[in-house]
Amino acid sequence: MKRSLFGRIWPNATAVVLFVGFAFPVYWMFATAFKPTGDIISDDPVWFPTDATLEHFKTAVDADHFWTLVLNSVTVTVLSVVFSLVIALFAAFALTRMRFKGRRGLIVTFMLAQMAPWEVLIIAMYMIVRDNDMLDSLVPLTAFYTMMVLPLTILTLRGYIAAVPKELEESAMVDGCTRPQAFVKVIFPLLAPGLMATSLFGFITAWNEFPLVLILNKSAEKQTLPLWLSQFQTAFGDDWGATMAASSLFALPILILFIFLQRKAVSGLTDGAVKG
Amino acid sequence: MSVQTEGTDTAGEPAVRKARVPASPRGDDRTFGAPSRRRAAAPYLLLLPALLATLVLLGWPLLKNGLLSFQNLNPRQLIQHLTEWNGVDNYQEVLSAGEFWRVVERSVIFTAVNVVLIMVLGTLIGLLLARLGKRMRLLLLFGLVLAWAMPIIAATTVYKWLFAQRFGVVNWVLDKLGWHSMADHNWLQTQFSTFAVVTLLLVWQSIPFVAINLYAATTTIPRELYEAASLDGAGAWKNFTSVTLPFLRPFLYATTFLEVIWIFKAFPQIFAMNEGGPDHLTETLPIYAYVEGVGNQHFGLGAAISFLTIVVLLVITSYYLRMVLKQEEDEL
Amino acid sequence: MKRKLAAAIVIAGMMVSVSACGGDDGDEGDAGQTLTVWAMDGSTPDQWVKDVSAAFEKKTGAKVKFETQKWDGIQQKITTALSESTPPDVIEVGNTQTPAYAATGGLAELDDLKKEIGADWTPSVSQSSVYDGKQYAAPWYFTSRVVIYNKKVWAQAGIKDVPKTRDEFFKDLEAIDKKTDAEPIYLPGQNWYFFDGLTIGQGADLVKKQGDKYVSNLGDPKVSKAMEVYKKYASYSKAPRDKDEATPQQAEVFAKGKTGAFIGMGWEAATAINANKAIEKDLGYFPIPGETADKPESVFLGGSNLAVAAGSKKQDLAKEFLKIALSDQYEGQLAKLNGVIPNKKALESNLKGNVIAEAIAPGAAVGGTTPLIPEWGAVENNPNPIKSYMTSVLNGKSPADAAKQVEDEINKRLAQQN
Repeated sequence: MKRSLFGRIWPNATAVVLFVGFAFPVYWMFATAFKPTGDIISDDPVWFPTDATLEHFKTAVDADHFWTLVLNSVTVTVLSVVFSLVIALFAAFALTRMRFKGRRGLIVTFMLAQMAPWEVLIIAMYMIVRDNDMLDSLVPLTAFYTMMVLPLTILTLRGYIAAVPKELEESAMVDGCTRPQAFVKVIFPLLAPGLMATSLFGFITAWNEFPLVLILNKSAEKQTLPLWLSQFQTAFGDDWGATMAASSLFALPILILFIFLQRKAVSGLTDGAVKG
Repeated sequence: MSVQTEGTDTAGEPAVRKARVPASPRGDDRTFGAPSRRRAAAPYLLLLPALLATLVLLGWPLLKNGLLSFQNLNPRQLIQHLTEWNGVDNYQEVLSAGEFWRVVERSVIFTAVNVVLIMVLGTLIGLLLARLGKRMRLLLLFGLVLAWAMPIIAATTVYKWLFAQRFGVVNWVLDKLGWHSMADHNWLQTQFSTFAVVTLLLVWQSIPFVAINLYAATTTIPRELYEAASLDGAGAWKNFTSVTLPFLRPFLYATTFLEVIWIFKAFPQIFAMNEGGPDHLTETLPIYAYVEGVGNQHFGLGAAISFLTIVVLLVITSYYLRMVLKQEEDEL
Repeated sequence: MKRKLAAAIVIAGMMVSVSACGGDDGDEGDAGQTLTVWAMDGSTPDQWVKDVSAAFEKKTGAKVKFETQKWDGIQQKITTALSESTPPDVIEVGNTQTPAYAATGGLAELDDLKKEIGADWTPSVSQSSVYDGKQYAAPWYFTSRVVIYNKKVWAQAGIKDVPKTRDEFFKDLEAIDKKTDAEPIYLPGQNWYFFDGLTIGQGADLVKKQGDKYVSNLGDPKVSKAMEVYKKYASYSKAPRDKDEATPQQAEVFAKGKTGAFIGMGWEAATAINANKAIEKDLGYFPIPGETADKPESVFLGGSNLAVAAGSKKQDLAKEFLKIALSDQYEGQLAKLNGVIPNKKALESNLKGNVIAEAIAPGAAVGGTTPLIPEWGAVENNPNPIKSYMTSVLNGKSPADAAKQVEDEINKRLAQQN
């Protein structure tokens, strides 16, 4: 391909500009977290934390019940992701590979469920949980988070299942497998990357959820990390250092998970498509 | 992230599958479905957990919300567990105030602007990814993934910090670039500039999803299609419109649908930025429902607004939902 | 399960301590009980919590669990909590919000307690906890704003004495503006409690009665006059017009050393020192000067009451706690430790030697609050329309127009049926 010098340079130049644009806010979060307060509230920005300090991280981690909240967040997030994956796997399989009455209606039902604006249902949810005496518990929280991610998980897995060629399943059944066996032995392994990719969305949703836990769980030992994250911005002022340190700690697990799983997800997707 | 896949697979999938597995005719019905009662029940059993969860965890709150919307529910009633039905008063109050319709209009425009920006820029960046060399592609992918993975609350907080009036780095840069009136500019002072910051945040957060998945989808376009096109003497633009775009169309539809939902529902980004201010001018429907209901502790009214919010969202997405219904008819 | 285990341990511990102390008058019926107290961030110094808990445990055998609450979203939190089957037993409620909560029926009536320990409560601060002729909370502590200034900056501007009148104050700010590169005063556009004080100083009311309901009175020329004063103050500041004093934290801005003064609460001095140790030696305080030298500016008397949740199943224990927490000994200790004004005059001696509290006291004498009607609580919900009003005026609208702009919103909130 013949391309002019300009034609070769502009995509790369654009890529660099875009990279900076997308990465800078993330960088600034980490950079601020490491800067001493005097460098944060500074008339000229300090671009790189030369006098790096861990003081803000200390403030963030020293907050009351920090480790309890970590445990709660991890519990709630992992459980709701696992539950939604399992439930969705059954549902998606039925929706993709079986013909039955009401199938279309169900697909649309899940699409509608995906549209639920949870934040505006908070009071209704609160009253249900309150009247059933389940406040200050991780159970309703896990249940609702499961539901929040379920529709998208079903719709996504449907795509992944559809990408697995039917012939594979059929030939397994010709070889004497029952249908469930065929699913476990043939489809499931091929779905692994898809499952991982799908779980990411659930992770992010459950990890981030804020308004519901705020109203359901008032006792400090039953809360989750988003509430901790918000406590450094208070009526007593914004502690940007601690807020950014807390944000960094909060974002880190997701960032790591993402960088790790994202490649698999995309490669899983393309593999699936190529094989399909 | 997962969703992208959804886009490519679910929507893109019929095309792919039709192209690739042309010969899986209705015959599989016979292979699979020797009709026995157990067989017939299987799909329903498999769907049972999901349906049950939806019914209890979504259906119930929706029903409860519906009931609350016909009640006069303020702190006194909430605290004393009183149920005071007030018919359609709440709806009357909401619908008769000009405020509601202004918020609807604002929400629709806000959603449209954001979704168009996200889809156009996301598609362009996705195509750029396909064109870049390996190293640059990895670099840009890394930047995109960073933005994508940032938890919403953390991202919103960072943006507030970037755009802070004092000590915010954006104002400093604008000042240094010679735009001195921006030195102490308050971004959250007017409706327009607050929306501008929120839009930047949302676009920044949403583009990676579109771009990365679009890129992934382009890698699945069979080379032969381009070769055939170039035999016909197609240029780059023709290539794009006659091969790339048609191939990606289902993916683009699905993604647009999801983005419409996400943007319309966007809550923490707007609320945490300025709580719908200044003067309620950046309240979109979910924020409006929350501020009136939970914030002002006028819970019945809030429930009515919530219900109307859902109706509006249904209307906006009805086109796509109808399309899906039709498409599913052809499938299987 | 865990809870039961914890309770068992507590009971076991209690029995040991009770038998060890033999003759104390611990009421064994309460042993093993835990009273939950919600106090706001910054209200309860550690030493006070420790001492009060010990005294309470000694007297009743029960424990107290203090849970610190954030101001952000506190109204919703308290409302929902009061509706639950196990609400916190004792709640710190802002004085201006107390009538609204009393009206919901969520607070227990405390007339007996008032008779028992409240005879000498300062009437002006006890007033906010009375609704419909009955006492629904006990006054706890109060405070108000003072001017916190940077002595170094003032010296640079050649100012020797602290101002005694508002005009002198403006002249000083002028001097700082001219002779130094410091910002004369840091006053964001939405320091609404400072504004409330100015309206009290003008003798203005924020609401008026129209028929049998309250409506906005922001259009009153007296309110406009207060707002003009505020605007004049704000003209010496570069602070954001649409932010309150917490974003950014004004004390931290001040701590940079490039600000002449700010109007803040006593504890904000500590925030400033925390941000920049070097500022400590330059800090000074004086009451906000009034129109004439004989009377300082009126201030908003912010404060808190202690209320008992109507739904609490430990009513007696909760009242017992109030008696101890509000006793002269511990009320005095709180005043001393936090530099806040106690609920009775006699205890003000505890403020001696506290430079900040001594600057507060004169203003507090002419202080006031927001309208003490149940309907008022809703007005202050975010986004607070009065804050919008202030921002509009500072952005150039006339006070009358700005008042008109938010009137509907205020009236709507005042009209919210309970």
